[in-house]
Amino acid sequence: MVGTKARDQAGPTVRGSSAAGESGRGRWVRRLVLSLPLIGLVLWTVLPFLVTISVSFKTKGETFANYNLIPENPTIQAYQQVLADPNFRAAFWNSVIVGFGTALLTILLAVPAAYAFARFRFRGRHLLLLLVLLPRLVPSLGTMVPLYRLAAETGQLDKLTTLIFVYTGSLLPLAVWLLVGFIQQIPRDIEEAASVDGATLWQRLRSVVLPLAAPATITIAALAFREAWNEFTLALVLTSSPGKRTLPFELFMLQTGQGIANFPAEAAFALLTVLPFLIMYNRIERYMVAGLVSGSAK
Amino acid sequence: MTAIAEQARRKREQRPSDPNNSVMIGQGRSTPYLFSLPTIIVVAAVLAFPVLYGVWESLFRPEILGAPEEWVGLQNYAEMFQDEMFWSSLLRTFIFVAGCLIVGTTLGLLFAFALFQVIGRARFLRSISLGPYLISNVAAALMFRILFNSQFGLVNGLLGQIGIDGPSWLSQPVTAMLVVIFAQVWTDLPLTILLLLGGLMTIDRSYLDAALVDGATGWTRARYVTMPLLTPQIVISTVWLSYSTLTGLGVVLALTGGGPLNATTTLAMDMYLTAFRSLEFNRALAIATFILVLNALLTLSYVRVSRRYEVAL
Repeated sequence: MVGTKARDQAGPTVRGSSAAGESGRGRWVRRLVLSLPLIGLVLWTVLPFLVTISVSFKTKGETFANYNLIPENPTIQAYQQVLADPNFRAAFWNSVIVGFGTALLTILLAVPAAYAFARFRFRGRHLLLLLVLLPRLVPSLGTMVPLYRLAAETGQLDKLTTLIFVYTGSLLPLAVWLLVGFIQQIPRDIEEAASVDGATLWQRLRSVVLPLAAPATITIAALAFREAWNEFTLALVLTSSPGKRTLPFELFMLQTGQGIANFPAEAAFALLTVLPFLIMYNRIERYMVAGLVSGSAK
Repeated sequence: MTAIAEQARRKREQRPSDPNNSVMIGQGRSTPYLFSLPTIIVVAAVLAFPVLYGVWESLFRPEILGAPEEWVGLQNYAEMFQDEMFWSSLLRTFIFVAGCLIVGTTLGLLFAFALFQVIGRARFLRSISLGPYLISNVAAALMFRILFNSQFGLVNGLLGQIGIDGPSWLSQPVTAMLVVIFAQVWTDLPLTILLLLGGLMTIDRSYLDAALVDGATGWTRARYVTMPLLTPQIVISTVWLSYSTLTGLGVVLALTGGGPLNATTTLAMDMYLTAFRSLEFNRALAIATFILVLNALLTLSYVRVSRRYEVAL
């Protein structure tokens, strides 16, 4: 497999000419040209991260002095400042609560619903499934103002539970969609065997369906956590007081604050926000990719 | 174990008219409704109802000075279409979406092809390319604010190296729009790359090998063999990208807030400002409904195109 790819990349002509004894320079140039897009990809993705990391280790003065990527006197001042900031700490814990809350609630609601749609034949099944899946096409922009008004009228503004509820609702269509397909693939026989052995519906759900649907469930949990952790515009509208903001909102407040912009602190703040993902990334990447592709309409 | 399963299957086959029949216990008639109702209620409360409520509210005038809410029909829409700000926002939205499509699709194709060349050998490259997916719009906006800063940004620093005096990117209308487009594409590109890469991986290698035998290599093969086979994925990623940019608010809001001098005020931004700066909610809802209709037209074309190419949604 790798062999074919390598041949395709270099091309048969190159191989032929090098065998004929031509200098290796032509091949080298060709390799470089072929790898230019890859270099471009890495630069495109990494440069914004690099400049931010660089600024986060500079002092305020050095930031404005030059654009060098390597700081002259690296300092962790900015990180200390951010970590000592009560607003950051509050926002961090709020994000943790909203993130895990959303992931948990999404799974708690989606698994039974998906199980019902995948396993039972009941009246109105198709219509109800449509009612769950169709709202997936609604962009958050369309619900922003109405949700604000509804939350204001019912006294639910500025509450973390509102955020959890809203994020869960916007993720459920995708979650049910993923899980229905997954549960349908679990052989019925396994469950029936467990049932014959006396397992109740709950026991089957817990010890047969859930373990077998684990990959889909983890994907959903990762997607839900990411959404709740990074979502910005709805949080901006639905919460306001300093003790209730999530991380993106708090970073936004830091940016729009008065006075000269404190770029090192903002950069450190942004990077500390990404850190949990970078730590977990190796383990959850394949789930993220699966969810990302299937969630393309969101 | 197999004996029990066999027994179960036989039992099911005995009563084929009832699809629910099985040896499973604990499945009352109401169970499926109890299982699915919480999800239906939450989705309805957070997505379906707010949208309908928003459309309904866009037909009213708010209470002013104690006068109650008043039904005004399509007047908010009539006023919206007479508003110069609306038309200029619509034009900027068009520029923004078109710019994102051009930059995003070009880079997406380039990078997907590049990743395909080294597939199986350099997995970490794909991991890296997903990086922007992990961060919030606010953090992405900050990164671009640093990168394009007029005093210490790397972009102007490098331009200075070759003797070009870089502009103050974010304080001039044209360059600000450019930076916003690049930042938006940066956050959206991981999915574009994955979609296109997925498409490349499903192409039957025999087509490519046949082209190779016929002497088509490199650009010719990419242009006349790979690209046509990749059309469904290009269409899907294009339409997804326009959906994401048409309704995208986070990047613009965090990067420029619609400035300078409204130069980056797209329709989404206009809706936000009308609602939460001017506090004219009903007018903002008219704009939101307009965006939803535009978006629905896009989604319809998505479904149509998907069908034509027999791509499952």
